[in-house]
Amino acid sequence: MIRQSDGVSLSALITPGNVVFIEGKPSKEEAVRLLAEKVLGQLGGAIPRKALFDRIAEVEKLNQVLESGFYIPHAKFPELDGFHAVLGIVPEGFQDPATGLTVKALILLLSPHKPAFFQRHLNMLSLLSQTFQPELIERLAALKDPAAAAGLLKGK
Amino acid sequence: MVPNPKFKQVFVLSTAMLSFISFWKAASVVLCDFGSSAYYAGGIAMRAFGPAFPWFILGVMLFSGLMLGVYTESCTLFVRGGVYVVVREAMGKVMAKLSVSALVFDYALTGPISAVTAGLYLGGLLSNLLPLLHVNWHVPDRAFAVVFALLVTGYFWRENIRGIEESADNNFKIIVFVSGVAVLLLGWSGLTLWHRGFTLPPLKPVFTPEALGWTVHFPWLKAVGLVGVVMAFGHSILALSGLETLAQVYREIEDPKVQNLKKAVVSIFVFSVLFTGLLTFIAALIIPPDLVAGKYAENLLSGLALELDGPYLGRLAMQVLVVISGALMLVGAVNTSFVGANGVLNRVAEDGILHDWFRHLHRKYGTTYRIVNLIAVIQVLIILASGGDIFLLGEAYAFGVLASMSFNTFSMIILRFKRREEEREWKFPLNFRAGGVEVPVGLSLVLLILLSATGMNLLTKKIATIGGLVFTAVFYTVFYVSERLNEKKAQLYKPDEDNDEKLNLRSEADIHKVVPELTGARRILVPVRNPNNLVHLASVLETVDDETTDIIVLSAKIAKGIQSGAETMSDEDKEVFSAVVLLAEKYGKTVKPIFVFSNDPFYSMAQVAQAAGADEIVMGVSGSTGAEVQLERLAMAWGMLKKPGETGKPVLAKVVWEGRQMTFQLS
Repeated sequence: MIRQSDGVSLSALITPGNVVFIEGKPSKEEAVRLLAEKVLGQLGGAIPRKALFDRIAEVEKLNQVLESGFYIPHAKFPELDGFHAVLGIVPEGFQDPATGLTVKALILLLSPHKPAFFQRHLNMLSLLSQTFQPELIERLAALKDPAAAAGLLKGK
Repeated sequence: MVPNPKFKQVFVLSTAMLSFISFWKAASVVLCDFGSSAYYAGGIAMRAFGPAFPWFILGVMLFSGLMLGVYTESCTLFVRGGVYVVVREAMGKVMAKLSVSALVFDYALTGPISAVTAGLYLGGLLSNLLPLLHVNWHVPDRAFAVVFALLVTGYFWRENIRGIEESADNNFKIIVFVSGVAVLLLGWSGLTLWHRGFTLPPLKPVFTPEALGWTVHFPWLKAVGLVGVVMAFGHSILALSGLETLAQVYREIEDPKVQNLKKAVVSIFVFSVLFTGLLTFIAALIIPPDLVAGKYAENLLSGLALELDGPYLGRLAMQVLVVISGALMLVGAVNTSFVGANGVLNRVAEDGILHDWFRHLHRKYGTTYRIVNLIAVIQVLIILASGGDIFLLGEAYAFGVLASMSFNTFSMIILRFKRREEEREWKFPLNFRAGGVEVPVGLSLVLLILLSATGMNLLTKKIATIGGLVFTAVFYTVFYVSERLNEKKAQLYKPDEDNDEKLNLRSEADIHKVVPELTGARRILVPVRNPNNLVHLASVLETVDDETTDIIVLSAKIAKGIQSGAETMSDEDKEVFSAVVLLAEKYGKTVKPIFVFSNDPFYSMAQVAQAAGADEIVMGVSGSTGAEVQLERLAMAWGMLKKPGETGKPVLAKVVWEGRQMTFQLS
């Protein structure tokens, strides 16, 4: 059994550099693809573009939008040694076809696919869904720039 | 802001089988039926073959130890067993129908013989008490017994129509009281024997012409030697009535189930030998033989009380205690006959061999009242036909006892070969290996004794043979015709699929209403979905102490869209919980089943776990997503339900599957 020993912090994960404001009303797939493009830059070639997009498309089928209207597409890669995330903010929101919920915020989370990281991966998912409640999502959607969004998440 | 709850309808389920009883309570349930024969077996045996009767009653009680062994092995194989299930597994449906028909004949007789005996004991007591109260009324023993028996039968008919459950607590209190009376009686008898001395009864049975039955037509079949012993044994075996109750009560025994079963069996055996065997023996030592055969033939233990050394009022007080204890046990046996017959007939009805007409539920009480009515009518007719003659009832009795025990033992031998790979937690002893095959010598010897007694009883007990065969034939025909009629509905033979668990549903608006009912120091939430995938629940039941831990079993039905709040459980949902109940019975551990309508099972898990303050969530692995995805979804639901920044109680989340488990902490 792996006990929780490593704390997780959102402010360490979400910096102004990995916050994306998405204009208009994209589809869910388009929104995820935009975030994937963004995260690709952070990976420094650790994962080939095709492998990343294929894996994300694969896990996309299993991921669900939360009741709070927050969406966490997530995937695990053995090539990674740390967590990578991109926060997408969609001020106008898009509708999830499966649940009918309006999504105004989503985080693409990539985690190392290694046993030692799974506990932290779960902690991260739990923390994200706890943090991104409707009130915070509305406040993020009202913002205009990534720095302000990252600032709002500071200390979370 | 926490989002709206995803479920609105919460059902809390309960069934009688979700609470379990200790071994001594289980033993007392059996003894209230099995032990009651102490009040009439001796007198009936005396009438059949004379003063040698105490040896044979004692012998039958010692033999009960072997039969208890056979039942122990069958119980460890079948949690919901009994002769019907065991015989069906071993020999098929035809033999199962025959065995159950014979068993019902005995249940039909257990009520009348017990009620009439209670009436005879009470009548005898009144005959002694009324003169002291200056009431000059001679109690007509048999007429009084018939009226009393009809009243008792009517009372329990009504109770069973109303569905009043038999209480193990009441049985336990009765057995404690009876034990106290027995200790007093044994002590006083010991003193009497000390003062008077005693002569052991003769060993040789001397049969009346009636007790020889049709054997008088076979000059070569002399009632002497071993043949005489078997005849006398057959006439005494009615003292074994009630052992089938052990198979019925096993499902209710608490964890550790098999160990507790063994303790219950030893308690039953010791009590029976001392109570039925020894008291009958002592009665024969103290009561003069002419009084055993005459005045006290119908109420032997009252006779023992009255023939003790001491002042008359003291002896009368002892008789009062004996009669009260006897009435309690015997009247309890009447109820057992209703419950047992109703249970057995319901079981066969579920298997499709009793027409659905019989299973029609009472509009108000929800009981199978037509079966109860049928049992009551048969019992009333038997009581009236007997005219309160306990010997006549005794003559008819034991056909079903022997038949069901023979079928059961033979089936256990067959199952030793048919299910040889199956590990048994206990085996009847005396097994030898010959050429790689295990030969169940012990079971075979028991069967030999039973078949000898059965064969002999068929010849000697004319009323039992004719009555038993006619009754069995009638019931077998009813079963056969019902089966043919039901075949059209394709409801036949679904072994071990008891979909008809009576689940009591209580609807609650909020899960928090249920939380105060949880009292354990620890709480484990076990989500269930597939009745065929309960490995994770089994692992919890195997390891967790339900005395200190609440095991909450949660089933979330996926209900898309807006819920009306008036959703009901489907048969498939009930099937899941029937499987849960069966498993809980197998381990003898109490669970708290909760059913919710939800559009996200992980959300409902997290919500119930947080509301209940669960220490663990134990999931079975999902074939479609896999353990990691399950844990991820639970983690997200867990977080979403918490307020931002809140640090709640952490929970261990486990996914368990065959031989493996993943454990992580959600905080």
